[in-house]
Amino acid sequence: MDGHDHWLREIEPELDGELSLAARAALARHLVSCAHCAGARASHLEVRAALASAAGDRHARTFPQAPAVRTRTLAVLATVVLLAGAGLGWALHARWGGPGGGDLEASRAAIVVR
Amino acid sequence: MLLGAPQETPSRVTYAIEVVRAAAGSRRSLAAGRVSGPQETALRLALRSDSAEVEALFTVEPGLDTTVTLAGRFFTRRLFGRSRRGLPLWEQDDYQRTATIPWGRVARVYPFGPPRRQAADSLWIEIAVMREPAGGETRPDEAVTLADSVLELRLEAVTRPRRAVVVLTLVRGDSASAPRTLDLVVEAPARAVELAVGAQGARRLEVGLARPEPPRAARERALALDADVVCLRVGEPGTARPLRVLCGRLNNVARKLPLDGTDTLVATLARPGPR
Repeated sequence: MDGHDHWLREIEPELDGELSLAARAALARHLVSCAHCAGARASHLEVRAALASAAGDRHARTFPQAPAVRTRTLAVLATVVLLAGAGLGWALHARWGGPGGGDLEASRAAIVVR
Repeated sequence: MLLGAPQETPSRVTYAIEVVRAAAGSRRSLAAGRVSGPQETALRLALRSDSAEVEALFTVEPGLDTTVTLAGRFFTRRLFGRSRRGLPLWEQDDYQRTATIPWGRVARVYPFGPPRRQAADSLWIEIAVMREPAGGETRPDEAVTLADSVLELRLEAVTRPRRAVVVLTLVRGDSASAPRTLDLVVEAPARAVELAVGAQGARRLEVGLARPEPPRAARERALALDADVVCLRVGEPGTARPLRVLCGRLNNVARKLPLDGTDTLVATLARPGPR
C-alpha cells in the first residue's frame, strides 16, 4: 500500500485542476497500470457527483464550492441583525418589561389648591 | 415671660377629610372623617383598595399670615401584576408633597396622580385644615364614616406625648409592692421612687421617660409609627447610667423589667387623663 500513497495524494489536487501537466501525465501513466488507484479516483469522482446532485445540480461540471461571503455583505448583515434585535428588545420591554411603565411623576400624588 | 408681650393662644387644628369619586359629571362621597388635636397634631391617612394602598402623614406649619403649609409624606403601593407563581407584585413609592393654602380652604389630594384630561372618572381626597382656640381641650380625637365598603379609609391623629402615666410595681419572689402611679414628663430629669416589698425593706429607684431612637425602617420613621412609644429608664439613685430601659406604647399593657438580683419591675405606660 505504501507505494500508492503518493499517487492517492495526487488524485484530489488533480481533480481540482491544481497539478502541473507533467504531474498529471505521470498520474495518468500510473493509473493505467494500477487498478487500486484508478478505483480510488473513480470513488472520488462518484462522491463529488453525489454531492453536486444533493446540491441540486446533477449536471455540474465542477465540484460545487461554498460561496465566498464578502466582508461588506457580512457587515451589512450584522448591522441589520443588531438593529432588528435592539428594536425587538425595545418593543418587548415596552410590552412586558419592568414594572411601572409611564411617567413616575404622573403616578404620584398631587396636592391641588383651587 | 415678658410683661406686655402678646401671649399666644393655644389652638387646636382640625383636618376635615372627604374621599370623593367623580364619574360622568356626578360627584359621590365615598368616605368622610375628621381629626383634630393640639397644634402639633399630624394626620395619618391610609386609603386602601384591592389594587392600591396610599399611606400619608400630613403635618401643618402655620404661616405668618392667614395661610398654612400642608406637608404630606406619602408611601404608596400599587398592584403591578402577579408573579409566575401567582403571588401579587407590588410597586412601592415614597415621596413628599407640600402646598400652601389659606386656613379653611379645601385642598385636593389626588392619591394616584392628577387625572388625565379625558379620564372617565377620578378619585381625590379633599382636605381642609381649620384652626380654633383650644379652650382647654387637649386630647386628639378622630371620626370616620365610610359610605362605600370597596374603599378602606383610616384616619389617625398623631401626637407625640409630652407626659405619660407610669404605674410601677416591684415584684420580689411571691411578694409585690403596692402599685405606685407617677405622672412623668418625657425628657425631664429622673425622679426618685421608693417601692416597699413586704417587710423585706424598700428599694429606691430613679425613673425617667425618654423618647425612643428613631425607627430604622423609612416607612415607620416617615409615618411616625412610633409616635406613642416612650422609653422608661430605670436606674439606681446617684448613678447617671440607667440600669434598665423599657420601651413601649402608651397602651396600658403591663411589661416586666427584670432588675439585678431577684427583683422584677412591672411597668404600665398609659396616656394621662385630660386636664
